[in-house]
Amino acid sequence: MDDFQRYLNKFKIRLLVSLLIENLIIVGLIYLTVHYLNIGLKETLIIACLLSFFLSLVTTLMLSNGLTSPLKQLRQAILHISPSYNQPIGAPDTNKLTLGRELVSNLISQLYQIASVANKNATEIEKTKYDLSRDFMANNIPLPIFVLDNNENIKFANKIAAQYLGIEVNDLINKNIYTILDMSFPTNNTFDYWLKEVKGNTANSSNQWERVKLNIRDQHPTLYFDLSAYYNVGNPEGYCTILTLFDHTKQYSQDDQSISFVALTVHELRTPLTLLKGYVEVFNQEFKGKLNPEMDSFLDKMRASSDQLTAFVNNILNVARVDNDQMELKLQKENWSEVLNQAIDTIDLRAKVRNIALERDIATDLPEVGVDRLSIQEVVLNLIDNAIKYSNDSKVIKIKSSLNGEGLVETTVQDFGRGIPESIISKLFTKFYRDHHNRAQVGGTGLGLYLSKAIITAHQGNIWVHSKEGDGSIFGFSVLPFEKLSQEQKNLSNDDLVRSAHGWIKNHSYYRR
Amino acid sequence: MEENKEIRKILVIEDEHFIGELYTRALNKSGYEVKVIADGVEALKEAQTDYYDIILLDLMIPNLTGIELLDILRDKTKTPHLRAKVIITTNLEQREDVKTKIESQADGYIIKAELTPMELVEFLNKIKL
Repeated sequence: MDDFQRYLNKFKIRLLVSLLIENLIIVGLIYLTVHYLNIGLKETLIIACLLSFFLSLVTTLMLSNGLTSPLKQLRQAILHISPSYNQPIGAPDTNKLTLGRELVSNLISQLYQIASVANKNATEIEKTKYDLSRDFMANNIPLPIFVLDNNENIKFANKIAAQYLGIEVNDLINKNIYTILDMSFPTNNTFDYWLKEVKGNTANSSNQWERVKLNIRDQHPTLYFDLSAYYNVGNPEGYCTILTLFDHTKQYSQDDQSISFVALTVHELRTPLTLLKGYVEVFNQEFKGKLNPEMDSFLDKMRASSDQLTAFVNNILNVARVDNDQMELKLQKENWSEVLNQAIDTIDLRAKVRNIALERDIATDLPEVGVDRLSIQEVVLNLIDNAIKYSNDSKVIKIKSSLNGEGLVETTVQDFGRGIPESIISKLFTKFYRDHHNRAQVGGTGLGLYLSKAIITAHQGNIWVHSKEGDGSIFGFSVLPFEKLSQEQKNLSNDDLVRSAHGWIKNHSYYRR
Repeated sequence: MEENKEIRKILVIEDEHFIGELYTRALNKSGYEVKVIADGVEALKEAQTDYYDIILLDLMIPNLTGIELLDILRDKTKTPHLRAKVIITTNLEQREDVKTKIESQADGYIIKAELTPMELVEFLNKIKL
């Protein structure tokens, strides 16, 4: 059964089903009215007639729309290539084809098949004529098309294909398709794999791929497209495989463009950072305690600085994720004091090198919480990092955690620095906002609080600040006990595979530091 | 590492020379036998000919991408004798589809900048062979 037949059959089935449903509704309504309402048979029949008229109107409209849209596209395609038509008309928008990609590319293949069969028995003059009309047809289809022989060499490529790749048509002919189209597929099911499979086994077959990436040499931007391929072993001229490309560069590259720029930047930052951390560790192992106290403290400061940079790089990445709606959190059952203490340990050195003590007051009877361990630790780090930055001359930061009146686990970070003017408190959790008084004295990007708020919100918790100029600030946030969270999201469970932005290991609890 | 434990053999596929150097130092200190290879094709040959317990695989390497190499390492027809645990080491954030692929094929995944060499060794010590 060929594809067009399949397409028609689908429509016949749809038509029958809608007629059946329509009739069932009418019969049902007649039955109900006669049975339960005291309306005469005459009135009932009138109502039924009106109803059936209305229903058939709707179904007819719906079906005819679906049925005629390919015809409309076809009409536009014909007008588009017609040289005698006095008004230039645009090519049909192939993305709107309700007919489906498969059918379009298969129709093209069928045309090739017909032309090839005709060519077989044709005279020389007829052959030239057929070839000309076939080329004319292919050149005016607004899609890149490649025709391949049994060795995957390009036998024909239309003008659009040449334009799409930025290569002359003549430079494409007889080249191997894989040297011309360097394609990356999102899954293992690639074009060459498919072709190998069908070659041994079937007379003809077709397949579609979405989100294919074309790696082009040099300065050319990356292209993305959907690919449709048709294989037919029986073509008399040996035109076995026909490829049709549906360009989606704009749509697909937008999806990850902003994140990919950030990802690249982050990569460039992380590589030297990896080395820096590595060498600092070597120095620490070899020289710690053997140097004079000043040099010892320099070592600590180097370590603290590289940790700070690591945290900042993660902040950039996570803000990009939040902005692109790509933040992925996995809320799991965790022991809160363990999570919190681990985060504080991480930043302890950073506080120590500034002679600031981190005081912990963590309740021992806290219920287990439902959090994404790494993200929530990032919140803790950001809040403590802020407290360190804004501590000025005060030498202590208090971190408290307890169960609040609403049954949520509440954590606060209190510094005794200069505090925040009331007028700007409401702007603190927006991106890039920093206290203007401190801008000259305090580094930072103002991403931390914005990110923290996004993470806490995703945890269904709250984040807030109390501050008084001159007295310091208290930043606090709450997270839900796991029990509470799982009541709301019933299918939460601890997975074997613990995933995070920074790493995972199979069948093993997550490890960091 | 405890003395009675067997020495673990590890293949580090990493093209940043200094990182290879740092990892070798840390791994040697903990009793690992280390070989560093910077090239994808060479690394594949090595993995096919010699026995390793663990393979650290950077994703950005010359001649074969880390993902391509991972595919081959997981293909029983091409590397029938391979028993090593494959841990991806990278500094590049992956797209969702690549992440899913790595999750299904690799035994572990780490961001290099997140761990110092000694922390990496601790991480590797936890892997059950």
